[in-house]
Amino acid sequence: MQPALRRGLGLSALGLLAIMVMWLRYLIDRDPHGAAVSLAPPPPGVALFRLTAIAVAVIAGSSLAISGVLLQALLRNPLASPFILGISAGAGLGVMIAISLTYDADAVARPASSSHGPAALLGALAVLGIVYLLGQRRGWLDPVSLVLVGVIVSAICGALIMLLHHLGPTTGLMQGKITRWMMGRIPEYPEPITLIAAGGLAVVGGAAGMVMGRAMDAATLSDDEARSVGLALGRLRVGLFILAGALTAGAVALCGPIGFVGLIAPHAARLLVGPRHTLLVPAAALVGIVIMVGADAGRQAIELGAGRLPIGVLTALIGGPAFIWLLRTGRGQA
Amino acid sequence: MSLVVDQLSLHYGQLRALEKISVQAKAGRITALIGPNAAGKSTLLKCIVGGLRPTAGCVLIDDRPAHRLSAATLARRIAYVPQRSVVSAAFTVREVVELGRYALPQSRARVDDALGRLDLIDVADRPFPSLSVGQQQRVTLARAVAQLSEDGHLLTDEPTSAMDLKHVRQSLQLLRRLADGGATVLIAIHDLARAVMISDETWLLAGARLVAAGETRKVMDLKRLESVFGVRFEWIERPGKTPILHAC
Repeated sequence: MQPALRRGLGLSALGLLAIMVMWLRYLIDRDPHGAAVSLAPPPPGVALFRLTAIAVAVIAGSSLAISGVLLQALLRNPLASPFILGISAGAGLGVMIAISLTYDADAVARPASSSHGPAALLGALAVLGIVYLLGQRRGWLDPVSLVLVGVIVSAICGALIMLLHHLGPTTGLMQGKITRWMMGRIPEYPEPITLIAAGGLAVVGGAAGMVMGRAMDAATLSDDEARSVGLALGRLRVGLFILAGALTAGAVALCGPIGFVGLIAPHAARLLVGPRHTLLVPAAALVGIVIMVGADAGRQAIELGAGRLPIGVLTALIGGPAFIWLLRTGRGQA
Repeated sequence: MSLVVDQLSLHYGQLRALEKISVQAKAGRITALIGPNAAGKSTLLKCIVGGLRPTAGCVLIDDRPAHRLSAATLARRIAYVPQRSVVSAAFTVREVVELGRYALPQSRARVDDALGRLDLIDVADRPFPSLSVGQQQRVTLARAVAQLSEDGHLLTDEPTSAMDLKHVRQSLQLLRRLADGGATVLIAIHDLARAVMISDETWLLAGARLVAAGETRKVMDLKRLESVFGVRFEWIERPGKTPILHAC
């Protein structure tokens, strides 16, 4: 089969799968008093919540996946992801600071309050700035230093999040909500402004990623070679960094820090459509949607006696082994 | 069309990687860049291609300072072949060669021509990482050929070091044809005998300095080579053919 045809079929199959998973999430329901799972159109009052949850999962999944593609291209490192580089943790720390500063009973009633978006963006960009500055050697951005600095900054941000959690309000409601947010969640009633802003970022990020596809292809060469074929590498890196940070911030503001989607989605997409970024960006976005919406549908069906599972737990349980499989089988090339 | 290196120095703190290099490469000629390990050959090529920022001095490409040219403008004048290419994605051979046209109008004909010249048509759809190092060197050379304009500058760093003999000969003949067509060809090379066979001119570097530059036979003075490389050499004359430089 011609490579172009195979890639086109791969992208179409992903689109179809994403629609099927969204439809499943719309229909799936569980009896609150038992374990019985049913598939039926929801009553009108519930349908809006379901559609909102689907929109949140679509935005967060596609944003994290596109962010992962951009970072892996930028750093020529198949392990790069918003999570590894500390961008998710930075955005999470921003939200945590906002929660601590603005805490009141009303604010915690809404999992994605209006202050979370800007706080997440500030946190993500601050971490990006730190990682960017510390990741340079002799004036050039060094991919290896960048990943190492990212891991360390991520650990520091994680510790600060836990510190704020420890020092924060001790009411059971607040602590419970923060704990669930830290594990990742799909809110059914997010702040509209956060939803719209994150959705807009996902659309802009996807379009910009596709436009920069050829440049990202050239960026897979070594620095000297990339420059020699005409790539303005410094400008591309700054652009990709900011875009990846903004996309991650949008996802974290909506759902909290969620790992593995930004790591696994680009790899899975590459298996279907190949490494060219113009096609890889939309394909990874679709895989991110399938993972997030699919995980959200899956947690409706799982009953462990403690309420619905946090989505971050499910994505890590699915994404972690899948990533190990990719590494072990050698299919996880950037 | 000219490539001039003017008083170029590159220092890493106390370490002097290049010291006041001034030299000019001529269009239509193949220039060999020779010298012992750590002489500064690859460093000089990287400075010319814009990958390293010189501490002092500059490179003039067609009378314009290279550091003031955009990456795209530079790519239209210079093509670069590193010793070992890095492609961190599973692109096919054809896709890697197409990257040579990144800053230029896409041209399937130029890509096909480059693939054909380097004997790569049969492996065009294979993933680049699955090839041997020698094959990868041919792909990298093909990428540069697809990029290079007729009167452009081709900078190569040991481009044939891992190739089999047939493809070494084929690649060197290709470099000769490119030079005959008007290109400036610069080749960093360790094999002095091969440098004599293929080059018109030679730059000899040692200890970060330019020791000599000019016609290859004049630069390859036996006493000078012995003092630079610490090995005795002799010429083996062949009637009607280029003499062979032999390390004793």
